[in-house]
Amino acid sequence: MSTREFAAGASFVLLQVGNRRFGLPAEIVSELAPPVRLHTFPHTTPLVAGVIVRRGRIVPVFDVSSILSGKSSFNHRFYLIAQRRAGNTAEASAIPLSGECELTTAEMRQPGDGRAAYVAGLLQIGDETIEVLDFEKLVNSSARQASESAPAEARP
Amino acid sequence: MRFASHDAPKPRRAHRSEPVILFAVSNLSFVIAAEDVQEIRSTDSLAGAAVEIAEPLLEKVHHTMERAHRTYYIVNGCAHFSLRIARPTLVLIMRQVRVAVLVDRIERMSEISAVYALPRAFTGAERRWYRGLAYLDDHVIPVVSPTGFLTVEEFKSLDEQSSRDAVRQDLEGAVRT
Repeated sequence: MSTREFAAGASFVLLQVGNRRFGLPAEIVSELAPPVRLHTFPHTTPLVAGVIVRRGRIVPVFDVSSILSGKSSFNHRFYLIAQRRAGNTAEASAIPLSGECELTTAEMRQPGDGRAAYVAGLLQIGDETIEVLDFEKLVNSSARQASESAPAEARP
Repeated sequence: MRFASHDAPKPRRAHRSEPVILFAVSNLSFVIAAEDVQEIRSTDSLAGAAVEIAEPLLEKVHHTMERAHRTYYIVNGCAHFSLRIARPTLVLIMRQVRVAVLVDRIERMSEISAVYALPRAFTGAERRWYRGLAYLDDHVIPVVSPTGFLTVEEFKSLDEQSSRDAVRQDLEGAVRT
């Protein structure tokens, strides 16, 4: 994430994953979609739960809740669709969410030491400190971690 | 932020429709181009033709069969996709590669108008397994690549083993006579 994106007054989408809220830069968020059918088929990529069909596109679904809240999000209410870098292009990707989203404008501060690599910064909303996610790092580092800890196994 | 409506994936450009075979492995559906399959046989009809590999190199390949003086490797579809082992009833004999695939059943023939690229989010062996994805009757179904069942290296290892076994059998035959 570039330093320009650390500027004061940037917009963030606050999302509920499990019992916690996280932030994503609003500029990468495309839409909030209802819990449409998840299509699954065998594959070996960690974190990818399957695909959904949105706006004429096949969109991969990342179950990041297993990383962020420690359990898979089977009772999700929405899919948040965001753009992530995939090679030289951007690819729409979905995250299952268990609660409402909120758009906010806030100043993001540096995360400091001891935070996970996928934490791009912190937002202070009232008494609540919210971690802003670097979607790309979240997916890549978590996938790498999963593939290192367990051999590739196909999941339907 | 928009709350979007549901719709089917849109092909980027018009394609001619492609005849496909829908088949099931461990109760999951797959699609393969009809032109990639040379023949579909029941496993019962293979009983006399299949040769068991004494010491299988690959978990998914336990048998071979001879066809037109070529050795075909019989790949168990469940083992290939790491799915729960089911009882296969049919074997799909590929046209371009020396592979026959054990599957549970054929669901039906159909036609697809497009093969959608597998999203780049998928980074594992599935990139080799599938040509892409098809959207058929409101279902996203992977389109199997016939060349994805065995890698070049796996073919090489299996061929080497097959040659060794043939030599050993010849020697054993010579000793007996």
